[in-house]
Amino acid sequence: MIDPAFIQDVIRVLFAVVIVTAAYIISTRNMISLVSVYALQSLTLVFMALALYSLEGTTVLLAIACITFASKVLVIPYFIATIQERIRIKRDIEFHFLSPTTSLLLSMALMLFIYIALAHIMEGTPGRESLFFFGAVIGISLMLMGMMVTFSRKRAITKVLGYLTMENGVLLFGMFVTELPFIIEFLIIIDLIILVMLTTILTVGLDSTLEDYHNRLHRFHLVEDTEEGP
Amino acid sequence: MTFSFIFYLIINTVAVLAIAPLFMSIIKKVKAWTQGRRGPSVFQTYFNLAKLLKKEVIYSSHSSWIMRVTPLVNIAAILVAALFVPLVFVPEPVGGIGNIILLLYLLALAKFFMALAGLDAGSSFGGMGSSREMSISAIIEPTTIIVFAALVFVFKTLNVFEMFITSAATGTPATPTLILLAISLFIILIVETSRIPVDNPETHLELTMIHEGMVLEQSGSNLALMELSSAVKLTLLMALIINLIVPFGLATSLTLGTIVVAAVMFALKGTILAGIIGLFESSMSKMRFFRLPSLFAMAFFFSTLIIIIEVFA
Repeated sequence: MIDPAFIQDVIRVLFAVVIVTAAYIISTRNMISLVSVYALQSLTLVFMALALYSLEGTTVLLAIACITFASKVLVIPYFIATIQERIRIKRDIEFHFLSPTTSLLLSMALMLFIYIALAHIMEGTPGRESLFFFGAVIGISLMLMGMMVTFSRKRAITKVLGYLTMENGVLLFGMFVTELPFIIEFLIIIDLIILVMLTTILTVGLDSTLEDYHNRLHRFHLVEDTEEGP
Repeated sequence: MTFSFIFYLIINTVAVLAIAPLFMSIIKKVKAWTQGRRGPSVFQTYFNLAKLLKKEVIYSSHSSWIMRVTPLVNIAAILVAALFVPLVFVPEPVGGIGNIILLLYLLALAKFFMALAGLDAGSSFGGMGSSREMSISAIIEPTTIIVFAALVFVFKTLNVFEMFITSAATGTPATPTLILLAISLFIILIVETSRIPVDNPETHLELTMIHEGMVLEQSGSNLALMELSSAVKLTLLMALIINLIVPFGLATSLTLGTIVVAAVMFALKGTILAGIIGLFESSMSKMRFFRLPSLFAMAFFFSTLIIIIEVFA
């Protein structure tokens, strides 16, 4: 049996990794590394679930780890990377409302706010002092940071990555705070939705008509041109 | 002032002077390897310094006493600053030595004189270099202060020696706050020593040079002193990271065995860190000037987070 104190230390280190990856996702402009950092963040969550499993022994956590690994470390990043290769966009340098620097500073304020708010809410409950409190704070912060990515970037593909980060935040919060069986169903459904959204937004665009669809497929090199494209 | 402290003064200065050019060369070597070149020998920086020391100093006819004292002030300030960061052996702190705020000011003093010297010779490149250096300093300085403040919050002391003693005593390298601190300190190191993505230490291209622009008018032994002082500055910032994050092997008592072990360990860890710096530099391109604040914001973000955690948790 592994020492629980050691596992708690490991989880704390993983928290730091999550924060670093979130900060990178908010501030980077290089889209290729964005996807790999997202995969790294998901992998961190997998390790966190495994660490929690060895601490608590709930098999649901093991299931979460497996599903997260399969979907968010392997399938989704592979999927996005493939699409990215096809549409040939390497950098995202357009922003709405917030520059990356401002978003970073703002997310700092957000974290502080969440920390203080949660500390007030959980005042006097046994969860206040433990690791789970930190998990909740970082989970919600990650959610909001993902949201910030979603609304501050202009490119659809980065918006989706922001959305995925948000979902990672939900997972983190779920692992540490709420009832697990519900969360796991929730996760699978959301992952599926994300997969569908990725295909639609990135290749077609939600606003397009079916006539447009064919043109766009040509433009983004998703089908091989038999003749010169439009 | 005890015997061990005097011994520390000697051994630290000797160690930092001896090893600083080596780290410089290792970074160059690693960068050359990643570019598919063989690169200069790891002792090349020593040869360069020896050659420069023998050469004649030439001053521009427009230059004033600033140009003459700057290399001396620079090396003096940096060497004193190097005394604040023990490399291999940590004695009991004496007087103000080891105070982290004084350390910051010593580094700033060296930088200030270097910028003045850049302006002094009246060359346009020097002026440009100084102007850029000061603009960057104005942004990085608050970040540096916050990072050092985070250090102070984590270790609950203003003295670098006491920080090192605490970290050497606990010996656990991977607490989350220290990981975040290491990233912040690494960014500070990159910025303060004018490396890619902030500045390119290998170019004399007028559009991009910052540090090189300021020392462009220096020659002979003065140039050697400037180069040496930038190498020592690199080493002292590296030592700060190494001895805080991976302190194992650091000697806290004065015996021959522990000091030899500590010196070997430091050289090893420093070589690894220099390799990491070289790889980091090779993996990046130089950033556009106005994008630099986003790099600093990262360091600022992590260190403020640490302060928040330390204050509230």
